[in-house]
Amino acid sequence: MNRKWSYIPVVLLMSCAHLVLGQDWVIPEAESAVSNPSPYTLDNVKAGKDLYTVNCKSCHGDPGKNNPLGLIPIPVDVASDKMHLNSEGALFYKITNGKGIMPPFEGSISEDDRWKLVNFIQNFKPGGEVLLVDAPAVKAKLLASVNEQNSTVEILAETEGENSAFTSLVNAPVIISSKKAFGNIEIGRTTTNENGRAEYVIPADAIGDEEGYLNIVVSLNDDYEAKEVYLEKARVGKMKEVPKLIKSEVLWSTNDNVSLWLLLSYIMFAGGAWAVIGYVIYQVIKIRKYSKL
Amino acid sequence: MNKIESPEESRKLLDKIVFDLTRSIVKKDELTRFWFFFLIIFAGVGLWGWIIQFHHGLGVTGMRDYVSWGLYIANFVFFVAVSLVGLLISSVLQLLKISWAKPVSRAAEQIAIAAVALAGIIIVMDMGRPDRLLNVFLHGRFASPIVWDLTVVSTYLAISVLLFYIPLIPDLAIMRDRMGSELPKWKMQLYTVLALGWKGNDRQYKTVYHALRILMILIIPVGLSIHTVTSWLFAATLRPGWDSTIFGPYFVVGAFVAGTAAVIILMYVYRIRYGLHEYFEDLHFDKMGRLLVLMSLVYLYFNINEFMVPVYKMKQAEGVHLSELFSGGYAFLFWFVQIVGLVLPILLIRLKFFRKPLPLTLIAVVVLLSAWFKRYLIVIPTLEHPFLPVQNVPEHFHHYEPTSIEVMIMLFSFFASILIISVLAKLFPVITIWEYAEEKGIDKKYFTEKPKN
Ligand code: HEC
Repeated sequence: MNRKWSYIPVVLLMSCAHLVLGQDWVIPEAESAVSNPSPYTLDNVKAGKDLYTVNCKSCHGDPGKNNPLGLIPIPVDVASDKMHLNSEGALFYKITNGKGIMPPFEGSISEDDRWKLVNFIQNFKPGGEVLLVDAPAVKAKLLASVNEQNSTVEILAETEGENSAFTSLVNAPVIISSKKAFGNIEIGRTTTNENGRAEYVIPADAIGDEEGYLNIVVSLNDDYEAKEVYLEKARVGKMKEVPKLIKSEVLWSTNDNVSLWLLLSYIMFAGGAWAVIGYVIYQVIKIRKYSKL
Repeated sequence: MNKIESPEESRKLLDKIVFDLTRSIVKKDELTRFWFFFLIIFAGVGLWGWIIQFHHGLGVTGMRDYVSWGLYIANFVFFVAVSLVGLLISSVLQLLKISWAKPVSRAAEQIAIAAVALAGIIIVMDMGRPDRLLNVFLHGRFASPIVWDLTVVSTYLAISVLLFYIPLIPDLAIMRDRMGSELPKWKMQLYTVLALGWKGNDRQYKTVYHALRILMILIIPVGLSIHTVTSWLFAATLRPGWDSTIFGPYFVVGAFVAGTAAVIILMYVYRIRYGLHEYFEDLHFDKMGRLLVLMSLVYLYFNINEFMVPVYKMKQAEGVHLSELFSGGYAFLFWFVQIVGLVLPILLIRLKFFRKPLPLTLIAVVVLLSAWFKRYLIVIPTLEHPFLPVQNVPEHFHHYEPTSIEVMIMLFSFFASILIISVLAKLFPVITIWEYAEEKGIDKKYFTEKPKN
């Protein structure tokens, strides 16, 4: 889950590259002049925020908090003056092509989304119009259950209002994930309706354990402070296929895989030897019997 | 063999033979007591080492991740090897009707029983969790050479005990009939029970011969397989030094060398201790000496084959192993075993003087000793050179050195095996009386006569 660490090898490699290629950004005039085709709206800023959280935050840190990863050069804070010396076209160009440690995102983020990232950065332009205000996380409460018949997770989200009465949480993003050995893996998302309710149908190809049991985790996104709901052993997943590691008959193998010729040779040899020993012991008994002659 | 016709003469000679050959049983002196005391104390000390190991686990040994077979397995292979002489002397030579081998046969059988019994015990002592021994039988895999080994070792033990017991039955009857006051009561009772009421009639003798013949034939494949399978424990791997197709016969011949040496030593001890000069004659030592040379020559041939071919190729991993043996840390031991333990005995025993009892016995001691070191050289150096380099482990994982606990347990096996032989010698004649007497021309009918006195 810790995305920060997953960058480290890349970063180390690139710091070497940077030592060699340590030069200033070169942006073609025409590129810099391109205007943002994506309108500056709250929705686009929000979408940009989500992209930023996943792709950029590990290096650049939280906007305005000045907490980037300690690289050289320092990844610039998106709320800083330096960032906003860039025109929108220049920002787009830089995100697209990267430089040194700053990775190029041309291949991994679509053009449209890259413009949304620019929209997001614009939200922090000094003296600009602020669309998205970083509100403190809303305290919320989640209830969820799973209906195994139709593979549906049913969710009720509430928030604590004034005089501690609970009111339904409307239009809140709900994340459904599956708990695996090394962390949670997201299955999908849904949004609560006007009653604070949501439903999510687990896709038929969600892989559970060997018996098809899925351990489902229901949570809200970072805007909310809510205890996640853990639905243990829901029979809604596909059975996991466990590959048989030893398929063929090999010498150093389990008893089930013992080669027939080997087993037969063993039984024939050991059985034969002990049969003869048994016969000899019978002779000894006969010697005793002959004493009575 | 010419028959003695006169009954008086027959009886007189029989009396003398019985008297001589039961001396080991009757004899009771300070030395005997001291000998047993000595063996039991030392075996006990070794056993104590095993109790320590049982409590603390195999960590008390020098074995670690890489060298996971140490002194114990080397010792195991040694004992299996020595036990094989039972097959050679009490079966092959008998079936070939080599008459001088008859008196030697019981000594060989004693060694076989003691050695193979200890081989089984040593395996248990090499286990970290001997309390789980039963699992080997319950969940053993038939594809595993270890299960085969367990099978053949126990089969060989059973056959060896029978091969020891069946020719003993008429002897037991002789002792039951002729002895009395000079022996404790329990011994006489033991003979009576074990003699199975032997009367010495034709059908009984016929059954004895029949059973013996079957056993002698059966022991050949089982005996060969016990040591061949032991060699497969090594040869069924890909490791340098073990990955060899001649390991089976190589081990078998090496076993004959070690076992023959052990029998020579035991013969000499009996000859001196029980005054059996007329029974273990110079002739027997001479023949055993020749047998030892023959086996050593074959073994030398196998050694040349086993080392010459890989040395010629010097494959990478094999090369590391071989240079370690030839000129590295094991060079002294290796050349000692090859020259002092093999080439020198061959050269010396060819001279008549060295086939006399004492010189031959001294040589046999050296041969037996280097046979032990040879097993050490087979097991340990290979494990110290795995294919993947040994790295990121503590320094003492790289090399193997037996700890004092391991040495204690090894000494236990030596003393325990000598103890088994001593007990057998104290209970039963060391040469088959009736066979020997018959060889001297005494008719069977005199054997079951009660002496009139
Ligand atoms: C591996 C860490 C890392 C990640 C991930 C990363 N950046 Fe950067 N970014 C940097 C570094 C380091 C620089 C400074 C590069 C330089 O000046 O050589 C930088 C520079 C930038 C600049 C140019 C700032 C300037 O000085 O003009 C922009 C814009 C930018 N990043 C945006 C993003 C966006 C948007 C994302 C996510 C899609 C992102 N970065 C992801 C490390 C990263």
